[in-house]
Amino acid sequence: MSDPVAGLGLAFVIVGLALSTLLTRTSFLVVGSRLRLSHRAEVALRYAPVCTLSAIIVPDVLFHGGAALDLSLFNPRLIGVIGAALWLCASRNIVGCLASGMAAYSLARLYL
Amino acid sequence: MNEGSQDPSAAGRRAAFQLGRRAILPFLPGAFAWGMISGVAMVKGGLAVPWAVAMSLLVYAGSAQLAALPLIVAGAPLWVIVATGLITNLRFVIYSAALRPYFATHSLRRRMALGYFMTDFTFVRFMRSAQEGTMPADHRDSWFAGVCSSNWITWQVSAITGIIGASYVPTEWGLEFTGTLALVALVGPSLNARPALLGAVIAAVVALLAHALPFKLGLFCGALAGIVAATLTDFMQARDAPAMEDA
Repeated sequence: MSDPVAGLGLAFVIVGLALSTLLTRTSFLVVGSRLRLSHRAEVALRYAPVCTLSAIIVPDVLFHGGAALDLSLFNPRLIGVIGAALWLCASRNIVGCLASGMAAYSLARLYL
Repeated sequence: MNEGSQDPSAAGRRAAFQLGRRAILPFLPGAFAWGMISGVAMVKGGLAVPWAVAMSLLVYAGSAQLAALPLIVAGAPLWVIVATGLITNLRFVIYSAALRPYFATHSLRRRMALGYFMTDFTFVRFMRSAQEGTMPADHRDSWFAGVCSSNWITWQVSAITGIIGASYVPTEWGLEFTGTLALVALVGPSLNARPALLGAVIAAVVALLAHALPFKLGLFCGALAGIVAATLTDFMQARDAPAMEDA
């Protein structure tokens, strides 16, 4: 392994990346009350959480580490999500949901 | 600053802050695991420990950091790295538009602070409680500050733990999957109506089809497609049920 990356150039990189965080996250918040959104846009934004999370979660589960889509029940991440979802349907307890999902995932990785 | 102990609105703000901290608490194991594995990845990817700590503290965006990492190690030009960060963070532009109406009356400084500390976890947690009306309506900003501060502390402690203990953290256990499960737990209760369900399905399908795109653009395309599908379904339902208000 080569030497770890360090040095002043990295300071500029960090500031640049921090700005990319700040600019994207504050973009519309900076505009504040001067902006009027249409009713349609306000309805659309209500669906931002569920749609974004679905677009994050599903590829993360189905392309687990590889380049190939794994829709089979031998996919441990799929088993884990099913375990977590079943728990979530039965009870609203979030920590239990995380624990049961991780248990199902780990068991599937060990035994499938 | 005033004492404020007799001021009822200061008491309300403090109470809202505590409620926010409590609201994010059960999801923090997911944030912790994902933060720690990201910290490990920064060091194993080739960053020196102090610089990895500085990056975690200032950039505070796991997916952008991981996307930028190979470019940094390869010595790519600064603008390429920053552009990668911007594109990977595009979904936050949608988030900030969704938060805007709730915080429009606050000062610019407050809005920028609330925006900077927003993440996937804290944004989704906020939107759910805002829509369910389960947060003090007068002190949404304090509630969100409570959520975001807990999440920030958890993330930083876990990321720095991962950075310092990179060679001791067992990456082969797949701990980062806890983060994905926490997102499942966050989104699950919102899948209770047809527009949201259809939006989630379309978002997933498009994100899968566009998965090969660089900079997590597949995620962004999927989210946009899902939002359009959900909104159209919502409006079609509203038209079929003329009892709905609004012109």
